[in-house]
Amino acid sequence: MSDGGGESGRDNEQDARRKSGGRGGDDFGRAIAKIAVAQICENVGFQSFQQSALESLSDVAIRYLRDLGKTAHFYANLAGRTHCNVFDVIQGLEDLGSSQGFSGASDVNRCLASSGTVREISQYVSLEQEIPFARPVPRFPVTRNRKPTPSFLQIGETPPGNHIPPWLPAFPDPHTYIQTPVWNERATDPRTDKVEQARQRRKAERSLLNLQQRLACNGSVAPAQVDPADAGKLKRAAESNPFLASPLQQGEKDVSPVVCPAKLAKNMAVENQVSVLEAFAPAIEAVKSGVCESVDAGKKVLPNKRPTVHFKFGIGKKALGAPVDLSLHSKSAGKTASWFGKDEEKDDKKRRAEKILKESMENQQEFAQ
Amino acid sequence: MMNQNQPPSDGRHDDDSALADFLASLMDYTPTIPDELVEHYVAKSGFQCPDVRLIRLVAVATQKFISEVATDALQQCKARQSAAVKDKRDKQQKQDKRLILTMEDLSKALHEYGVNVKRQEYFADSPSAGIDPASREE
Repeated sequence: MSDGGGESGRDNEQDARRKSGGRGGDDFGRAIAKIAVAQICENVGFQSFQQSALESLSDVAIRYLRDLGKTAHFYANLAGRTHCNVFDVIQGLEDLGSSQGFSGASDVNRCLASSGTVREISQYVSLEQEIPFARPVPRFPVTRNRKPTPSFLQIGETPPGNHIPPWLPAFPDPHTYIQTPVWNERATDPRTDKVEQARQRRKAERSLLNLQQRLACNGSVAPAQVDPADAGKLKRAAESNPFLASPLQQGEKDVSPVVCPAKLAKNMAVENQVSVLEAFAPAIEAVKSGVCESVDAGKKVLPNKRPTVHFKFGIGKKALGAPVDLSLHSKSAGKTASWFGKDEEKDDKKRRAEKILKESMENQQEFAQ
Repeated sequence: MMNQNQPPSDGRHDDDSALADFLASLMDYTPTIPDELVEHYVAKSGFQCPDVRLIRLVAVATQKFISEVATDALQQCKARQSAAVKDKRDKQQKQDKRLILTMEDLSKALHEYGVNVKRQEYFADSPSAGIDPASREE
């Protein structure tokens, strides 16, 4: 063993510690041995130690222990046993102490029971004071309980093959060693994605348009545009919500006719085109075509052409196309839409009377078409 | 296991009983080296014994050995201190009352037991280590 002196630099000590630490990872045992040796030295009379000296002495102690065990084991094997005896240990002690010498060593016919070493030890025990170890030491080394792989029997599998007995550990799952192709479960077909996207867009446009119509028309009866595809949905919704009831058939109920906003946009030469109307142009086209189809098919249909509602657009004033005005004003019953400008001063009743007059006039016109 | 084949006579009977008594007395004595440590290291060498008394015997034997080594080292240390005191008696006595276990004393003590522990005289970290600083400047 060569080890640096205590006054050596920190680096050297750390290196030495690293080297000794790498020797089998027996740090815990070494630490305990160091404590025990330090206690013994303190009992002898030392007041402090050099680090390297303490480590060397604890190394010596551990080696002595191991040598004693090895020798005792050797003697037990020599006698044809595996478990050691007190006499094996005494013989080991004699072997190790032969360099120092003990009384009765030269006696060839000596008896082990009265061996000089044992006597010395008993003397030592009787003279020396008892120094118990400073701290409680747990049982070490701690063995970790490993869970063994379950056998075929334990997991209830039958081994694949007659040559494999069921009490053997089971094979690992195939996915752990076979690379199977991974299928993406969701179909990422770009075409269907686009179709789906377009469909959803159309649906959104349709519902927006419906909302717009509903707000534009009288609040009493919602002449919602019924898409043939949504008829079923409306029926279901109608059960729960009366407001979502499917629209009435033509002539089923006497309602005031309302014009389709698309018509309005076409008829009126409006200077200010509302951007929303423009945005809804394709949808409105679709609606119109849908209307024709539904009329032909005889299904639930748009409210038939209702007379146009005339609006007065203030010159220079900001005017919004009434049908696309989604403000809360238009929701009140009996009002088609709110219009700005001087018309705000008009009374509700007067407005309603005017509208009815105009509707009747328009009705005659449109039916003539 | 006995070395002799003769049946144990009275003398040996005493020895056996003495041994048995000694082993029994070991149970009362708690050695400084804990049992778990001893069991761990002797198990590494193949020593198999369920008897606690043998473990105690091994522990006590090791303790005796270490204490002997330490005693020798202490004597070395004291001898050195007394020698140092004798030299510098005219000056103030360097009464270093602290007894420190140093590598020097330990190596001398262990040498008698057949263990060779050498201590480096110096560590050469660089080529200029140990060189007189005056000559280093050249």
